Amino acid sequence: MPDRYRFVIAAIVSIVVLLIVAEPVLRTPYEDGFPLSTYPMFATKRPTKLTMDYPIGITAENERVFLKPRIIGSGEVLQALQIVSRARSMGTLPQLCETIAKRIAPLPAYHDVVTVKFVTGTADAVEYLVRHEPANEIERARCLVRRGAP
Amino acid sequence: MKRIGDWWFAPAPAQRLAAIRILVGTFAFLWLTTRLPEFVQVAKLSSQNWGPTGVTRLIGPLSPGAVFGLGAATSVLLAAFVLGIAYRVVAPLAAVGLMLSLTHRNSWGMIFHTDNLLVVHMCVLAIAPAGDAFALWKKPDRAPVTGYGWWLKLLLAVTVVTYILAGIAKLRLAGVAWLDGEQLRNQIAVDNLRKALLGDSIAPLATPFLDHPSGFTLFSVMTIILECGAFMALISQRVGRVWALLAWGFHVGVVALMNIWFPYPLLGLAYLPLFPMERPVGWLIGRAKSALERVLGRAGNVPSPETVRSPDE
Repeated sequence: MPDRYRFVIAAIVSIVVLLIVAEPVLRTPYEDGFPLSTYPMFATKRPTKLTMDYPIGITAENERVFLKPRIIGSGEVLQALQIVSRARSMGTLPQLCETIAKRIAPLPAYHDVVTVKFVTGTADAVEYLVRHEPANEIERARCLVRRGAP
Repeated sequence: MKRIGDWWFAPAPAQRLAAIRILVGTFAFLWLTTRLPEFVQVAKLSSQNWGPTGVTRLIGPLSPGAVFGLGAATSVLLAAFVLGIAYRVVAPLAAVGLMLSLTHRNSWGMIFHTDNLLVVHMCVLAIAPAGDAFALWKKPDRAPVTGYGWWLKLLLAVTVVTYILAGIAKLRLAGVAWLDGEQLRNQIAVDNLRKALLGDSIAPLATPFLDHPSGFTLFSVMTIILECGAFMALISQRVGRVWALLAWGFHVGVVALMNIWFPYPLLGLAYLPLFPMERPVGWLIGRAKSALERVLGRAGNVPSPETVRSPDE
């Protein structure tokens, strides 16, 4: 093959690869994908008020303990959040509550947690983080942490 | 046209492309092997959490055993990819295996954006002659006529396109209003609140900045300039390196304000084509070879680090 053609082929390969990577620009930014992405992170308009479902551990002294995302089913916060919100929409929060209670029962970090409850909490993010305003919570499910006799 | 051709096909040593193969491949190997237990764990989730994307629309959810098998096989392929063994066969298989594993991981209700560039770079390296140097395999009799430099340009251009896409998404979704800083502040506040309510660590600088929000206007303007102006990285190596430093700083800022880690750019891997990486990699291979020779008491098969100079510097 003449060298000239090799350069033409290299140019075509370059253009095709770049067009493939740039293809998401033709989609709406909400049509995300992998590995070709529209990269919509941090782009959407959103208020600081947030309502979300999450589990809380309750100790015998009635203290609250936030549960790590890994306990819910994923080490990633957003994926753990998806697991909870899907369980809520499918009506399976009680089952997820039992699963979480079983997971934390043998863990030393949660040795004092006796109850797991799911709540829907609403908070203003800035008020919560900066001025420590608590979230308004509505309980959705509750279950006991059962441990064997020592 | 000739000027564009001369710029795109500017020569570069084979060792530079090979060094990128080694560094990106090593990262992919470590990234996959250390996260494989989590990939298997996620594959055990109920099917109600399945949200296929890309190739997983065709294959559906895999069993946890299949996820482990795919990840283990891909890890072996990635090790061979790094060593440059049977590159023409191994590299495409390693890239496909990595894409499948990571796409499957991203198909459980949430698409992350930490692995996209890694996969695309691996795909480009898989079709590039990146096994022509620093390889435990027979080297080609002669270099490709088109050289190695354009592959480095292509890797860099791919990085540039992803940043531009991120900038375009912000302007399309929020318009120029994104520049006033309020959207960014709200994103940071909400992201940290989610972390707090789910028992995760919030970012170290989130609370002080949320309490004094005027800085977010500057952050927003700088972000859009950095993302939409990413094409400047292709103008010259010097401009590109300045852009890379700013882009890296942007990712450090994301860690400080949101505790979100993008390891691929944070480790500088996204910007490797801008730097003469053959020098540190060649030095490391030389040290490894010396150590191996000392241990074995004889010359091993580890290739010598060629003394290289970049023709385009």
